[in-house]
Amino acid sequence: MKALKAGLGIVLALAALGAAGAQDRYDATYGSEGSSLRYFYTPTTTDQRIAANTQDGLVEQDRFGKFVPSLAESWSANADMTEWTFKLRKGLPWVDSTGQKTTYEISADDFVEGLRYVADPKNGIKNLSSDVRKLIVGLNGYYYDLVDIDAGKKKDMTRAEALANFSKVGIAAPDPYTVVFKLTRPTPYFLSFLVMELFLPVEKAFLDSVGLDFGVAKDKLLYSGAYYIADWQRSKLIQLKANPHYWDAKKITVKTVNLQYVVDPTVEVAMFQRGELSQANLGADQVKALEKTKWAQYIYSDPPSASRYSVTYWFVQNFTSANPEWRAFVNNLNFRKALYYGIDRVKLNELDDPYKPAAILRNTVVPEGQVFDEKGVDYTEYPGVKEIRAAGNYYDKQKARDYFKKALAELTDGKGAIKGVSPGVVDYKPIAELKVDGKLPLQFVYVALPDAVETKRAILLKAMLEEAFGKENIEVTIGQVIDDMFAEAVEPRRFDLLHDNFRFGYADPAAQLSRLITGGGINDGQYSDPEFDKLVADAMGMTKLAERYKTFAKAEALFIDRCYVLPWVMGGTAYQITKVVPFTYPRGGFGITRFKYKGMVVEKNPITAKRYESLRAEFYKELGKASAK
Amino acid sequence: MFSYIVKRLGQSLLTVAIVIVSVFLLLRLMPKNGYFTREDYVSLDKEARTAYLRNLGVLDDPFTQFSRFMSGLAKGDLGRSITVYPRSPVLEVIRDKAPYSLWFGLAALALSMGLGLGLGILMARYKDSIVDGLGTLYVTIVRAIPSLIWLFFIQQWVTALLGWPMLFYEDRPISWILPTISLALSGIAWYAIWLRRFMVDEENRDYVKFATAKGLARGRVMRGHILRNALVPLVQYFPQQVLLTIAGSLLIESIYSIPGMGGLLVNAIRQQDNPLVQALVLLYAVLGVAGVFLGDLLMALVDPRIRLADARTKGGEA
Repeated sequence: MKALKAGLGIVLALAALGAAGAQDRYDATYGSEGSSLRYFYTPTTTDQRIAANTQDGLVEQDRFGKFVPSLAESWSANADMTEWTFKLRKGLPWVDSTGQKTTYEISADDFVEGLRYVADPKNGIKNLSSDVRKLIVGLNGYYYDLVDIDAGKKKDMTRAEALANFSKVGIAAPDPYTVVFKLTRPTPYFLSFLVMELFLPVEKAFLDSVGLDFGVAKDKLLYSGAYYIADWQRSKLIQLKANPHYWDAKKITVKTVNLQYVVDPTVEVAMFQRGELSQANLGADQVKALEKTKWAQYIYSDPPSASRYSVTYWFVQNFTSANPEWRAFVNNLNFRKALYYGIDRVKLNELDDPYKPAAILRNTVVPEGQVFDEKGVDYTEYPGVKEIRAAGNYYDKQKARDYFKKALAELTDGKGAIKGVSPGVVDYKPIAELKVDGKLPLQFVYVALPDAVETKRAILLKAMLEEAFGKENIEVTIGQVIDDMFAEAVEPRRFDLLHDNFRFGYADPAAQLSRLITGGGINDGQYSDPEFDKLVADAMGMTKLAERYKTFAKAEALFIDRCYVLPWVMGGTAYQITKVVPFTYPRGGFGITRFKYKGMVVEKNPITAKRYESLRAEFYKELGKASAK
Repeated sequence: MFSYIVKRLGQSLLTVAIVIVSVFLLLRLMPKNGYFTREDYVSLDKEARTAYLRNLGVLDDPFTQFSRFMSGLAKGDLGRSITVYPRSPVLEVIRDKAPYSLWFGLAALALSMGLGLGLGILMARYKDSIVDGLGTLYVTIVRAIPSLIWLFFIQQWVTALLGWPMLFYEDRPISWILPTISLALSGIAWYAIWLRRFMVDEENRDYVKFATAKGLARGRVMRGHILRNALVPLVQYFPQQVLLTIAGSLLIESIYSIPGMGGLLVNAIRQQDNPLVQALVLLYAVLGVAGVFLGDLLMALVDPRIRLADARTKGGEA
């Protein structure tokens, strides 16, 4: 009996140890189907997650979001930051889908071949953006030569000749362990491009052997990352196993990753509750449903670790609208300021997050926590932008009404007629059609997506504006697209006001601000401000970060002050219950390396919200120190 | 009979050809902006977008695209997916997914027929009794309550009660049971209610009254006459039901995470994956038409009253 008791004691002690200890397995779900394993093209976050964990690039982001060595162990740049040299680790093998070493070694040529693959339009790597093409010397010309040859427009060169010209593109492998990039302009933030999938390596001999089948199955690619794909079934399962030959194997605490395809979020939560998953994301409804259960203690949200955190939502105003009433008003700064202060962004966000709707407001177009100068100062702490960020929830109905009164005084004749506007029909068909009479109330079309939340939000916004400025002054018509805001409303100019979201591409304010200038790629409102354009152009020519960011901050402050867009919230925030210890895994706002599981610690029991708070405080203390280094 | 088969085969081929050509042309009418996201519009100029479309093969004229599809088809090559699973051979995608739908479909069909026909027989045999009432209640519930509700109930509560997995796992047979039952529930109701109805109809026929008057036992009348004749109208649908199991179930496959064919066609259409849509439409059209054709033949085999074309000719000669 004593022996039995002693045995039981040992078992219980071991069980207790196990409960506290780290798990070597991570079980989660994915809802957006991965399309292929061709890691250069990653349209869904599932694709990005697989690519990030099975392939390594030259650099990666660590748990503080800092760029740290990956396959390159060191790097340097010339004085004007137009030439970057990377030194690779030696003797690292490509592994196959069984985790076995192949005879191929990861070498500098693999990075050259990777970019060569990406740059050939025949390979359909759609995410090769003009930002990247124009950054690497000769890449844009090389790409368009091939495009023109394929289109039959260029006859003075054969495709083979054009392909041979890749040697003139600004990437080279002078020896097996050195990669050199030549850039078209000083680029102090070049490392933030290198965390994109476009700069991953590929072994040419293997690529040639599989041809078109590259990446269509787990054995049709080789692995350079922390994991290899042990199992891949479409719409079912992705299983990753730790690569035993990985250069940073000691940081891989989770040895097996099982991602299951689950479409229904309710199932995801139930599976977590039954112990089948390490993590589950929760919608607002599910948070409510679990409110009075034992699970409530484990629910928390950590916006900066969300994959779409660096995405910003803002309201777009159509400055060239076909609606003469709206056009007259939106080109008036006082009216735009009235909207700026009159839209209660917190109320609008309650539809997504009824618990902490003010926590994810964003006042700037460049996200915080993504761009740092040499001293570790966040760009959004620079004068001008700092004040805007610090304003928090600036909603002020009285201020809005005051600005609106000023706008009315400037735009109407005092008897309700809008100056210079004659009656007409505004044709936004099939979204909406308006008969405007050139008199108050100002009529305009707010375009929304047709789902339930966006419909409610549109109704709320209409009520909010009509109440703030009076129905006698404003009449909002709600129009809806079918499913594509850009193709149905923005491009054909069928809107007066809408909201959309915008990704932040790389670690420089230019990633957003250079696209917002006159004629810029995301200047959907089609406004024009030469002063803003000049500030952005000036900033882009500066290589010293402090000076550069100071000028960008001045530009952004002017841009927000003149209300060309109305920033609203950050993207991708979600509540979760998880056994993953927060802040143990990489983070960042762009590229794919932030999706790595490297360093991630999974525990046996869920993390409580209380523990999250204390870990958070600790983490930000450490982050402050790390940034200052 | 032979000339009937030849004629029907001709009609079937024509139907399949019409379906393929119509779908092919309809796909070409779809706007091309579905191939691009918001970010693509920002990062790619028009020329780059055109280059992307050209490489997908969707800018070639419809005749070239059609002849490419047909010549590939003649060689047994259905092409490669362009957007849903870029560059994966379509045949491989179907080969990976179809077996799941097929096996679940066949198991559910067997269950539907076994239980549904049994229930139908009992309901007809004990018409207006408690058995009939309970059967009718089951049929009414299954048909009146939206399937999502009871499917959700089965997945959430039954799995919790029995401690079974919520999803399908290939290596855990216990997880195959609930999806099969879920798939079969409406089939059971369908077979039960129709068989009951046809049996009750037959029961009132003169030949049944005659057989009963002759002194045949009720059980024998039921089995030998009523059941056999009542099955005839149901038999017609059987081949189609078997063949189209391959199409899978959008709802149940997505709920239980079964990697089958359900939803594949919808996805392919949404993402404008022309080669995949064409291949799937071809597959379903062929199976659908073949199902109807085989159903007719089967009906002729089991029902002596049906003699098809040859029989009518003979009748004319007499």
